[in-house]
Amino acid sequence: MTGQGGFGGMGPPEPGGPGGVVPPGQAERTLRLGGRSFGPQQRLVMAIVNRTPDSFYDRGATWEETAAMERVHEVVAEGADIVDIGGVPAAPGTEVTVAEEIRRTVPFVAAVRAAYPDLVISVDTWRHQTARELCAAGGDLLNDTWGGWDERLPEVAAEYGAGLVCSHAGGLPPRTRPYRVEYDDVMADVLERTLALADRAVTQGVDPSRVLIDPAHDFGKNTWHSLEVTRRLGEMVATGWPVLVSLSHKDFIGETLNAGRDERLSGTLATTAVCAWLGARVFRAHQVTQTRQVLDMVSAIQGDRAPSRAVRGLA
Amino acid sequence: MIAGVAICPPAPLLARELTGLDPVIPELRQACAAAAGRLVKSSPEVIAVVGPGRRTAVWPADGRLNLAAFGPALGTRDTSTGPTPRPLPLPLGLGARLLDEAGYTGPRLLQSVHQDEPSAACLRLGADLRTLADRVGLLVMADGSACRSLRAPGYLDPRAAAFDAAIEGAVRSGDLGPLRAMDQGLARELLAAGRPGWQVLAGAMPGRAPSTEILYADDPFGVFYLVSWLAGE
Repeated sequence: MTGQGGFGGMGPPEPGGPGGVVPPGQAERTLRLGGRSFGPQQRLVMAIVNRTPDSFYDRGATWEETAAMERVHEVVAEGADIVDIGGVPAAPGTEVTVAEEIRRTVPFVAAVRAAYPDLVISVDTWRHQTARELCAAGGDLLNDTWGGWDERLPEVAAEYGAGLVCSHAGGLPPRTRPYRVEYDDVMADVLERTLALADRAVTQGVDPSRVLIDPAHDFGKNTWHSLEVTRRLGEMVATGWPVLVSLSHKDFIGETLNAGRDERLSGTLATTAVCAWLGARVFRAHQVTQTRQVLDMVSAIQGDRAPSRAVRGLA
Repeated sequence: MIAGVAICPPAPLLARELTGLDPVIPELRQACAAAAGRLVKSSPEVIAVVGPGRRTAVWPADGRLNLAAFGPALGTRDTSTGPTPRPLPLPLGLGARLLDEAGYTGPRLLQSVHQDEPSAACLRLGADLRTLADRVGLLVMADGSACRSLRAPGYLDPRAAAFDAAIEGAVRSGDLGPLRAMDQGLARELLAAGRPGWQVLAGAMPGRAPSTEILYADDPFGVFYLVSWLAGE
């Protein structure tokens, strides 16, 4: 079986579709990150490593460089396929200048690259100046959560042969919160914006097999919007572009379950399973082991992965 | 002449369905219902609902609240009968619902005002509404800044407190003069979506309101909500 079979709207993208540039077809939907290639059936864990003193979930746990490197060792051992390193929290707050962002992230990315020559390193930034330094230090993927706010980001990705995440932030400026945001059709807006960004990236020379799209849960969205894009994630998958989701402990989960910051793991994993089932391929997460297990389970249910050890009733 | 004015915030969470299982803020809704009730009891010949929107326009008077843009799972999006009419801007939908729930069945005018509508145009619009009939009821969907705390939608802005205090002071005193001179740029920076509504109100009531009553004034989410009732001239 093909793994993706049986789910609606999974055919190859129509030529000249909404994005203009035709994404990789069904057969060659290989995702390339750094020196590695991942087939359509592989579901990848992107482990979050924050170089911030104030990110919402870890509250600065990896602010110190030694702690951050420990975290990298840990997530690699737990089976992370990608590490995502960022130096600026998403929430509003004290300004982090380009120079400070570079100071927080560039030497660290270089150290991770030295320790793990083959590990895929994603860098969480929206600014092309930082992105350039990070790519030079060994970054493989630019994770632009703020929806293409800095138009020069694709140029950097193209220059360094890096990948690019094209996400939907509803047009909000970086580090702002949604306020009474409304959409005639939130998924239509997500598709329009992310496909336009993917199109722009490829036009500017980014390798199409290194472009992902991300609905960006919570960004420019209320909880109802995030639930809607989750429910309709298959529409993004159907475009042919690999879909990344970043769900871990976010507010839409907290609001759905009335769960505080430390009570959102079950909701995170449930949403992870649904997104995996609908065809997402990369999962940005804090808990690598649990996320890996959920993805392996979904892969097994879909028939993409054999059970690890099956003897029950077989003796 | 103005028969009376009810002021309510155009906050999406005024719609009970949007906050999910938890009513979250029932006292705000009760205050709004009370304000709308007073307005309906003031025997207006027509009630004009004024609220922010993507453009300045008068909407069909039979328009009703549609939450699809904020809660896709809650909206009515019936595509079986062809394209549906464009739903009301949420502030007007909320106002229309408040009137319905207060039992109002008389004529109504639903007026949206663009966020960037210049002050002079807002004041003029208010003056026009004033002459709609001998007794005009006004339901103004307006609120203050959204920058009153670190957790506020617009983060903490030290200018927010004074901005909102000026609005509250004007409404409390019944002297709406200060609203005429609201700083449009500052309002935008503080995410004060209510600015056009406050200025339409100031245009509609050039004199002093004989009595005013504050039914709710608080900022539980970092946004300044003010619910009040102003008696007519």
